[in-house]
Amino acid sequence: MSVKYGILTLLYQKKHHGYELKLELDSLFGIKGKINPGQIYTTLDRLIRDQLVSSAGMDDQERKLYELTPKGKDELEKWLLEPVPYTTTKEDFFFKWSCARKINFAQEKKMLEQQKAVVIKEVMELTKLKTELLLQGDESKYLLITGILLHLEADLNWINQVENRIH
Amino acid sequence: MIKVSNLTKEFLQGQERTRVLKGVDLNIKKGEFVAIMGPSGSGKSTLLQLMGGLDVPTAGDIQIDGKYLNKMSEKERTIFRRQKLGFVFQNYQLLPTLTVEENIAFPLHADGKLTKEKNRVIQELIQAVGLEGLHRKRANLLSGGQQQRVAIARALVNSPTVLLADEPTGNLDRANAEEILRLLTVFHRENRQTIVMVTHDIFAAGFADRIILFRDGGIDQVVSREEGDYAKYLANFMA
Ligand SMILES: Nc1ncnc2c1ncn2[C@@H]1O[C@H](COP(=O)(O)OP(=O)(O)O)[C@@H](O)[C@H]1O
Ligand SMILES: [Mg+2]
Repeated sequence: MSVKYGILTLLYQKKHHGYELKLELDSLFGIKGKINPGQIYTTLDRLIRDQLVSSAGMDDQERKLYELTPKGKDELEKWLLEPVPYTTTKEDFFFKWSCARKINFAQEKKMLEQQKAVVIKEVMELTKLKTELLLQGDESKYLLITGILLHLEADLNWINQVENRIH
Repeated sequence: MIKVSNLTKEFLQGQERTRVLKGVDLNIKKGEFVAIMGPSGSGKSTLLQLMGGLDVPTAGDIQIDGKYLNKMSEKERTIFRRQKLGFVFQNYQLLPTLTVEENIAFPLHADGKLTKEKNRVIQELIQAVGLEGLHRKRANLLSGGQQQRVAIARALVNSPTVLLADEPTGNLDRANAEEILRLLTVFHRENRQTIVMVTHDIFAAGFADRIILFRDGGIDQVVSREEGDYAKYLANFMA
C-alpha cells in the first residue's frame, strides 16, 4: 500500500494539513498500516518536488495546507485505472479500490472490468498449466495451482458482487 | 465459422414482451473453445439454444459453416442439427432405461441401421470417455459423472463440427467436473471441434481459449488467452 497514492487520494477531495493527512491515511489503510508522520512529510516533499502537490498557504491555526495540482490529479486517475498484476498481491487492488471509493471515482466500473480481465487471464493460464502438470504427474505443483485458483475464484466473485451492486 | 449478428430474442410473458438477447454480435473461429459466463438470467442458455437451432431468433442472423440457421425450415434445421451439432446439458438428458451404448447410439438411428463401422465408433467412444465394461449398464444406474460422460460420447457420435454445452459441469462436484473438462479438452485437441460452453464456474471456463462475459442480454467483455502470459507462468512455476 502506497503512502504516495493515499495522499493523492485525500488531496483529490480537498486541501489538508499534514496532521489531518496522517489521521485520514491511518483510516484509509485500515488497522494494518499505522504510518509514522516522518514518512508523510518526506513523501509530501517528494510530491511537491515532482509538482504533483503544491503548498496552499496556511489554515486559521497557522498550519501548512497542501493541495493537488492538475498533474497530481492525472497521476492519481492513471494509477486507479491501471489493473494490478496478480503476481503481486491482491491487497494492492483492494487498496486501490478503496481510494477510488473515497473519491467517488467515476470510472469505478471500468476499473473493476479491467481487474476482472486480469484475474480471468490468470485463471486461463493456470488452468492450462494445471492440466499439463497433471499429465506430467506433478501432484504437488498441481495442488498448489488448485489453491491459487480457489483464491482467484473468490476474488472474481467479489468483483462480480461489487459490480452487481453498481449496476 | 459461427457468425452471430445482431441476434435478438424476445419472449412473450403474459402481455409483456421481454427482450432477453439485445442484438448480440459474436464470431467464433473453427476449432476454437469458447466459454460464455455471466449472471443467471442474462441470456446465456437462450443464446446457446439459438446457436444450436433449438429455437428461432426474433431478429438477427446465425450462420454456421456458411449456412443461415434462421433461414432454414424447421425440417432443414433438424437435419442440420443432427449432422453438424452435438449438445451436452447440465442434467445429462439421457434416456434412463436405455443402456450406455444404446444412449450413445441414439442419434444414429435417424439415419437408418447401425452399421459395423458405426458400432466400432461407439465402442471407441466408450473407451475414450472411460466407461469400458459399462456399455450394457442402464443409464439411470450410473453416477452423475458417468452419465455426463455418456452424454459427451452421444454428442460426439456424429462427429459434429460444433459441440454446444450448457453448464456441463453444473451438477457435478469438482473432481468429476475436472474429469469432464479434461475429456472435452482432449477431444477438442484431437478433433479440432469447435466448442461453445456456457458455465458459471471459472474453473470450467479456464479451459477455454476465450471467455465471453455476458450481462443483461449482451456481451460485456471478452477475455482471451495471450501466448506470452503462459511462458511467464511456466518460467515462474517450473523454476
Ligand atoms: N421460453 C421462455 N419463455 C419466457 N421466458 C424465457 C424463456 N426462456 C428464457 N426466458 C427468460 O429469459 C431470461 C434469460 O434466460 P436464460 O437464457 O435461461 O438465462 P441464463 O442461461 O443466462 O441463466 C430469463 O429471464 C428467463 O426467465
Ligand atoms: Mg442457463
